[in-house]
Amino acid sequence: MKTRYLRYSLMSILLAGVVYLALGFGTRRFEDFCPFGGMESLWGLWRQGEFSCTLGPLNLALLIGILVLALVAKKAFCGWACPIGFLSELGMRLTGLVWHKRPAVPAHTDRWLRLLRYAVFALALYFTYKTGELILRGYDPFFLIFSGFGHGSIGLVSWIVLIATVIGVLLVPMFFCRYLCPLGATFDPFSRLGFIKVVRNDNHCTQCGACQLACPQDLAPFKMNKIRHRDCTNCLECVDACPEKDVLQLKATL
Amino acid sequence: MNIPRILLPLLVVAALFSGYLLRAAFTQPTTTVSMGSAGGKTVECIVDGLKCKGTAAFFTKLYTGVPGIATIETFATEHKAVFSYDPQVITTDRIKSIMEAPLPMRDGSSRQVFTCRTIQD
Repeated sequence: MKTRYLRYSLMSILLAGVVYLALGFGTRRFEDFCPFGGMESLWGLWRQGEFSCTLGPLNLALLIGILVLALVAKKAFCGWACPIGFLSELGMRLTGLVWHKRPAVPAHTDRWLRLLRYAVFALALYFTYKTGELILRGYDPFFLIFSGFGHGSIGLVSWIVLIATVIGVLLVPMFFCRYLCPLGATFDPFSRLGFIKVVRNDNHCTQCGACQLACPQDLAPFKMNKIRHRDCTNCLECVDACPEKDVLQLKATL
Repeated sequence: MNIPRILLPLLVVAALFSGYLLRAAFTQPTTTVSMGSAGGKTVECIVDGLKCKGTAAFFTKLYTGVPGIATIETFATEHKAVFSYDPQVITTDRIKSIMEAPLPMRDGSSRQVFTCRTIQD
């Protein structure tokens, strides 16, 4: 069975859960399940022993759970659970149906753009810590989509940000995850250490590049022996796309 | 060592589930306000409308100057308020009625902002 079906099944269940909460069913709000909220709360917790704004212990506990996961299996949360990652990937597949030869972002530009998420991360934390409010809300596609532009959205600016993000997602695969996601920036140092990763058997690899074409993050596994890259989400698309048997394998290795 | 693919979704679910279970370790009130009176009993209310730090601060202000209230702790994500109070001065019915009283709005109208869903000693 293709790993993608398994992945999409799990992500669909989690997305359905978020939609269920966003529609007002259940006792919790969908925001309670945002792990980045844990990061946004750290300063307030340290200084005053209080959570910021609408955040609570679940945000922080989920963040810790997912950081431990990153130490074990890299950004598996992004590739197997994140609702925004799932929607981005669906957008990518949808555009792929009609736009077969999508031009790639030049490697040099891509490297620089990937640093943008650290700026988003720093700005989000700085303003949240300074004001005690969740400043990112008005620019956060997760919040804007699932809250239906709820309290904290900033009218026209939120619309512009959301539309620009959607256009970005349709033009560049995983645009938000690659360039803007502050949670991804949080995972980066942990993800590099993750010991469950895809490993390439150099002896049998034909360097055909099918793995890079399949990679939603546009990584090039055929150029690496171990996929240590911080952006690898262990989605295993490369493993499924490889035409050679057992060249790419999921292994536990340092 | 080769890893079966099915381990990845299992690890993800385990991380989310353990995070969910771990939340109790980080339970902190959204606000803690001391009102100055002597306590004695505590009562816990689940309050509709108590949803963030702003509403929690507004909620506790309703009890400013009310005799018999010692402390109020609010937990926004749990929609919960915990009162420490002196039962000889104030009753739980009175505590409930204060939060449920209609409040004046900016447009001149008044409306009920908080609803006590459950109240438990």
